[in-house]
Amino acid sequence: MPEEPAYSSAKEPQLVEWAKVGDMQAFEELVSRYRDRIYVRAYSIMRNEDLAVDLSQNAWVKAWQRLEQFHGEASFPTWLSRIVTNLCLDELRRQKRARTDSIEAMEETTGPVENRMEMETVDPIEGLGREELRERIDAALAKLSDKHRTVIVLYEFEQLEYREIAVKMDTSIGTVMSRLFYARKRLAGLLKETLKRDGLIE
Amino acid sequence: MNENETELKVQALVDGELTGREAEDLRARIETDDGLRKLHARLTAVRGLMAGAELPRTLPESGDFHWSQISKAIEREERQTKRLARPASSAKRLLRWVLPLAGIACLVLVLSLQQTTMPDLDILLGSDHELELSIEDIDVMTFNTGDDTMSVVWLDYSIDLQQDKIDLWLD
Repeated sequence: MPEEPAYSSAKEPQLVEWAKVGDMQAFEELVSRYRDRIYVRAYSIMRNEDLAVDLSQNAWVKAWQRLEQFHGEASFPTWLSRIVTNLCLDELRRQKRARTDSIEAMEETTGPVENRMEMETVDPIEGLGREELRERIDAALAKLSDKHRTVIVLYEFEQLEYREIAVKMDTSIGTVMSRLFYARKRLAGLLKETLKRDGLIE
Repeated sequence: MNENETELKVQALVDGELTGREAEDLRARIETDDGLRKLHARLTAVRGLMAGAELPRTLPESGDFHWSQISKAIEREERQTKRLARPASSAKRLLRWVLPLAGIACLVLVLSLQQTTMPDLDILLGSDHELELSIEDIDVMTFNTGDDTMSVVWLDYSIDLQQDKIDLWLD
């Protein structure tokens, strides 16, 4: 009897090849390796556990259906991350259509007001561990508008270029630059606020 | 260039999105402009903070449950795809049977048609039998045996024969 492939010790490209020919166990192994990573990306954009779980699952289903299109130009998790990011952006668009645009319109017009604010100085803080800083950044990200948070996630975490973000967000490069600038300004302001409140900076 | 545009250009420089002559010119401006230098430093600091700042999280459901949901969804989608594709494959399966049957039916029809149009050569023709053809293009040769007990009629079918074009009388 032929031996069953050792999925847990198999390298990622091998698992992808097996999955491409319909091996569900190989695909299951890929899911177990990257499920948290994909969930994190969905959560970073959506800020909602249930939605992030659903969108992660959808991303895996789409990945299975489109495995033939994966040729290894990027790594498999990067490819997957693009899929879940696209699904999140679609979901945000759907939500935007579903609700009144008044909040979004308000956010867009806050530009000139924010423009008058100075970009805060946020240097790495002495005595503040990387993990704690991450948590504070995460909390600050949660307070940003969908558009500002998305542009930060796409640029900083998904590591897309301005041009790519513009395509994904269906907008111009100028708008991406502007959103990114105000998002960073707001983020720096929020971080400074929380650090001041906790007496970590003056 | 207004102030806002300059700020966005400084950001693009920090992000490595501004290159060439434009980047060089801006760097020169930053060196001589305190405000731009501060902005450049602050944007660089924010970028530094954000590097690897995505908080790691664990999926809030068990791995097995997550996989079972994914595999169920895959199976559901595949069933749906098959269902949508089914009419086409059923038609193909049907054609696989119908085409040979239709071929056989056509063959039988042609043979039976030929059977009715071709003269029955088993019939013994007497010298007094008359063969009349309405188409002159058909070559006909007739042989009578010496004692006149048998006649052989040879028809050359180089054209399509149709029953309505040929009238055969066997007296």
